[in-house]
Amino acid sequence: MTKVRRQPVAISIPDRRDAALTLGPALLVFAFGFLLPLINLAIESLKEFTPGRVGSVENAAATVQNYYELANQAFASVLLTTFWIGGVAAIIGQLVAFPLAYFIVRRISPRMRALTLGFLITLVLSSVLIKTYAIELTFGSVGILRPLLLTLGLSPNSREYINIVVTAGLVHSIIPVATLTLIGAMQSIDPRLLDAAQSLGAPGWKAHLSITLPLSFPALISSTLVSLTFAISAFVIPMVLGRGRVLFISNVIYTRFSDIANYPSGAAISLVMLAAALAVVAVITFAQAWKVSR
Amino acid sequence: MLHDMTRRRFLGSAAAAGIAGTMTGFARSAAAGSGNLTAVEWGGEVVEAMKQIAADQNAATFNWVLHQGGAGAILPKIKAVWPNVDYDYVAGWEGSFNSMVKEDWLETINPADVPNLANIPEKIIIRDGKGNIKAVPRAVGGMYFGARTDTAPIAVKTIDDLLSPDLKGAICWPGPTQSMMLQIVALALHAGGSETNMEPGWKLMTELAKSGNIGRVAITDIDFTNSLTSGETSVGFFAEPGWAAVAKNFPVTRFTKDSNFKAFLYQSGFGVLKNRPNTKATLDFVNFAISPDMNSLYAKVAGEAPLNSKAVTPDNLKHLSFTSDEFSSFVYVPDYNVVLEQQDAWSKRWEQDIAPLL
Repeated sequence: MTKVRRQPVAISIPDRRDAALTLGPALLVFAFGFLLPLINLAIESLKEFTPGRVGSVENAAATVQNYYELANQAFASVLLTTFWIGGVAAIIGQLVAFPLAYFIVRRISPRMRALTLGFLITLVLSSVLIKTYAIELTFGSVGILRPLLLTLGLSPNSREYINIVVTAGLVHSIIPVATLTLIGAMQSIDPRLLDAAQSLGAPGWKAHLSITLPLSFPALISSTLVSLTFAISAFVIPMVLGRGRVLFISNVIYTRFSDIANYPSGAAISLVMLAAALAVVAVITFAQAWKVSR
Repeated sequence: MLHDMTRRRFLGSAAAAGIAGTMTGFARSAAAGSGNLTAVEWGGEVVEAMKQIAADQNAATFNWVLHQGGAGAILPKIKAVWPNVDYDYVAGWEGSFNSMVKEDWLETINPADVPNLANIPEKIIIRDGKGNIKAVPRAVGGMYFGARTDTAPIAVKTIDDLLSPDLKGAICWPGPTQSMMLQIVALALHAGGSETNMEPGWKLMTELAKSGNIGRVAITDIDFTNSLTSGETSVGFFAEPGWAAVAKNFPVTRFTKDSNFKAFLYQSGFGVLKNRPNTKATLDFVNFAISPDMNSLYAKVAGEAPLNSKAVTPDNLKHLSFTSDEFSSFVYVPDYNVVLEQQDAWSKRWEQDIAPLL
């Protein structure tokens, strides 16, 4: 197969002016709302912290100690917990959202579809705190399902169980977002392709695997990235459901900034977290691009 | 209609909007200077007590802001906007006040502006290095071990009992940002250490974390109250308002007068912030709030022992009233400057050595 190479396109001056006018406001907001604070954070992360003070003092000495002290097993363990639980929740979310999105697009009446979409949007807009406490009151150590858990031999006090409840909390929030993301992709798939495959003798599952899944793959990747980003940056869910025993990076960052006022350390952790998240997103994006180019 | 907008109309509208905005700004400044105070208080019964006190006077009206987590959590919020701080006073204790004194955020209190300060014990008043009064104490609270008697699996007699297998998942332990980690100082004291020699405390804390007896790490006071009232846990270490909330509905044993445990006392009070237009109104209110009647009301509602010598201590706070012999036997007063300076190191130690074991 002949590969098509993209040729650079010359942009005319009016096009450039249009581009500047179109992108200008967004770039301005990005520069002041994100880039400037990020630079400030990077500068703060290189300052020495004086114990007992609030943030770094004026004319604090420059140091890389705030990064150096993160090179330990405990921090790696928190980072791993964040990505492990967040990753599992993102994948479970897609496994539930994908068939759900298909069902909403192809199997129910337009009226029911509108109702279901409204329900999903309500779930997205409802408070994370309320949803989190709903899970705590159901599956927590004093939840209504506690007797059932004990009967099954599950200790509500075990670390494994707390991990599962935190994952459940994340999945609960991911499903509506992922479903809404995937619905758009499902709608753009021509249903006649599936009909054609099945009329030629392909079983339903095979037709889905060879048509629905590949055609919605880019949307699935986008949905996974959105879900993963939400999960690894979650703060309230691990704080409430983790009972102070499951720590996410966001909880550690909060403690550093808000409770012990060690801004330089909090800034260093934030930047490490940002770098780790960008690395994961980059790997997934490049893997997708590589797969598409093959 | 937007397409009918001419340049002149646009400039006219912009000028009108600018004048309106300026007027709003003036109105806000006027409101800020007219006895409308913004106060940072703890939630629950404490803010309820302060609301009742505020309702007994007409000189000032209030916007109440609540502490989120420990009292130290307000410090970064002040730092972020300093010197344009939004709060007239911040309720705090030794831990947060010492930080604020170091940052030079607090007004110096002239005793002539707060005459009721004369009835507050001199030795409890926080001063800076030059001897200036930097905060006005209103009450004494305690941080101590206790147990919900009706649900505790065993009768806890000493700190060593916390390691008993019978207490599996039954302990609610304060998070690393609660109580300035005096709970670990308590363990250190039990094992022969102190705030300046914490290794014995960390050793005992490690054993406790490994035991599986800690069922919840309370990040906020509500975490603690919910955990004990719901029966999730039964034994813990926390500050007086937390225990008072549990004791409202359940039998609680407080180990404040037990030689096997050490209780810590703290003062709660008012830190009046600099750079505010309402300093006079704030000081007038603070003086009113520590008057004998209002201090008695505060103690009754908030559950902290009053510091005004003419105020009445409610019967339900007798466990925080010590004779001098009792004080020397049961109460430990740490060097709060040491405790404050160690917060960063202790918090990291918790994350590295304790959190992975929980």
